[in-house]
Amino acid sequence: MDVIAVHVDRCVGCKTCELACAVERGSEGKTLLSAVREAPQPQTRVRVEGAGGVSFAIQCRHCADAPCLDACLTGALARDAATGLVRVNDDRCIGCWTCVMFCPYGVIFPWPERKLALKCDRCMHMESSACVDSCPTSALEIVNVDKLADAMAEKRRSAAMAASGIAADGAVLLDLAK
Amino acid sequence: MGTANYDLVVVGGGAAGLNAAFSCRERFPEKRVLLVDRESEIGYYRTLLPMFMAGNLTEDKLFFWKPGDDENLDTRLGVQVRTLDRTAKSLTLDSGETIGYARLILACGGHPVVPPVFERAVTPEGVFPVRGLSVAREIKDWLPDHRDIVVLGGGLVGSKTSVFLRLAGFGVTLVEKESHILPTVLSADTARPLQRHLENMGVQVKTSTTIDQFKADGNGAVTSVRLATGEWLPCGTFLVGIGSAPDLGFLQGAGLVEDGELIVSPTLQTVDPEIFGVGDAIYIRVAGGDKHNPWTWPQAVNQGKLAGANAFVTSPVPLKRTTRVNAQNIAGVPIMILGGPGVGSSVEARPGPGDGVWREFFMHDGRIVGGALVGDIAGAGPLHFTMAGGEDVSEVADDLLVPRTRAFGASAWSSLGQARRATIIPAKGNDGC
Ligand SMILES: Cc1cc2nc3c(=O)[nH]c(=O)nc-3n(C[C@H](O)[C@H](O)[C@H](O)COP(=O)(O)OP(=O)(O)OC[C@H]3O[C@@H](n4cnc5c(N)ncnc54)[C@H](O)[C@@H]3O)c2cc1C
Repeated sequence: MDVIAVHVDRCVGCKTCELACAVERGSEGKTLLSAVREAPQPQTRVRVEGAGGVSFAIQCRHCADAPCLDACLTGALARDAATGLVRVNDDRCIGCWTCVMFCPYGVIFPWPERKLALKCDRCMHMESSACVDSCPTSALEIVNVDKLADAMAEKRRSAAMAASGIAADGAVLLDLAK
Repeated sequence: MGTANYDLVVVGGGAAGLNAAFSCRERFPEKRVLLVDRESEIGYYRTLLPMFMAGNLTEDKLFFWKPGDDENLDTRLGVQVRTLDRTAKSLTLDSGETIGYARLILACGGHPVVPPVFERAVTPEGVFPVRGLSVAREIKDWLPDHRDIVVLGGGLVGSKTSVFLRLAGFGVTLVEKESHILPTVLSADTARPLQRHLENMGVQVKTSTTIDQFKADGNGAVTSVRLATGEWLPCGTFLVGIGSAPDLGFLQGAGLVEDGELIVSPTLQTVDPEIFGVGDAIYIRVAGGDKHNPWTWPQAVNQGKLAGANAFVTSPVPLKRTTRVNAQNIAGVPIMILGGPGVGSSVEARPGPGDGVWREFFMHDGRIVGGALVGDIAGAGPLHFTMAGGEDVSEVADDLLVPRTRAFGASAWSSLGQARRATIIPAKGNDGC
């Protein structure tokens, strides 16, 4: 499965990805100038998080055993058979926010004005992903999660990883601690 | 009538039972599975019934599954299980049929408790329990001509039902016997502003009281009910949304029920390891003796999946989480319920910026054991998993309590190891990472 991953060493926390996502995927006008005037205000599906001098963009991990899929009370959340990505069917979403509560990564966002749960679908129906395309430092990249997992497994054997005691759960992870 | 034999029989085709059947079929494709349900239709979202009754949802959106797609998954619908014989490993149905099983999953859910006042008399027309689709259809047809509604029970089902009916323009009075609504999951301080919110949207809320009499017209339809305070509430519709005690009568004499409760281990097995229990019907006894049942949809699905996967393995896997979390969107006010106050837990609460934004935690030994986020639910998911992981948060509780629009404040972010959340690509040539 292809997911969006982040180079932490390149992310400068500028939030350009948030803007690009909101404009491209959330707005009617599709330009920043018109998007800022829209009501309800377009929302992003990617968020830049961070503290202590580290920042990174985060969006849905499309977990293998996704808790949000079990949690959905209406059938709005479903895994796309072709791509393996988890997506929201807006038609069925009633904005009860149960999925928000069940996302361990905090990447399903309530959009109260539209009564919709908002999450990244990797721009699956577009040629490429808005956040990846817009990132000025190329910190975001689409990677094949299975290949990355292999690479990670290799890495994880290193003493440094063992010492940091990382446990991957649902997502492919690498420790930030140097 | 005849006898049939199955590898797995599931009693109850609700969220838990259906998912148990699906997961067993997926995990053990050669096994033949039978689902028995007393309702004639299954495979729908019970959680959507309040919206459906209120006329705000078309029926096609209710369903997620119809019988007949899988030749190794049989159903008996509209029939009730009458008895269980553990020695013969068989069930009898009220159709007269006997069903043999190798494994059994009990997923018979809960049922609203009918108030005593209606047990003493012929139940008038216009009185309905809120639970299943067939009754929800009757309610939907009944409501347009009987627009004044009394809802009994200020728990999750009753409150949610009141909200959706009020939003659809009906007159709604909600009656709760405790001193505040959502009494099992919220403290009075948190419930009060929510109650005000309900009142502002036009729901009349009557607390610390219940119904002790009713009146019916010449056609036998309810016209009003009396509160214990003596006040009469005119109503053409009376909805019962209290309690979800399972109907375990068919297990009588089978030795599975303890003090009226069906108790299972964390692997969802009853005292008979070939018989599993899931969903609203059960209590899970965890190490240390505590009993839990979350009685929520996500947990029912999750437990069903696990029981189905555990059915034919030699070492069944325990359930990961037994948190009783729940989300409600009460007419624009989001609330996240992390669980009710436990014995010996303390309350830590913090009002947020602006009206109607509030967080409270029930804490025990530095761990969050319950609480609620009201008005601003940012970061609720990670918080839920922090709680489920049993982490000591005494150092960061203050920070977690602050309502915010970003998922985490600085201290919580680093101390909770949130750096692990992204798929992070290692920097080139940086082996240590
Ligand atoms: C109106 C309403 C709104 C709700 N809203 C929410 C919500 O917003 N969020 C949330 O998390 N949860 C909500 N819930 C709770 C949630 O729906 C339940 O926790 C969940 O459905 C439990 O699933 P279950 O499979 O254990 O039981 P059920 O879904 O009740 O299924 C049990 C099935 O067993 C059958 N059965 C019982 N006894 C027998 C027998 N002897 N023989 C044959 N069949 C039998 C019944 O007919 C029934 O179909 C709501 C519930 C209701 C009623």
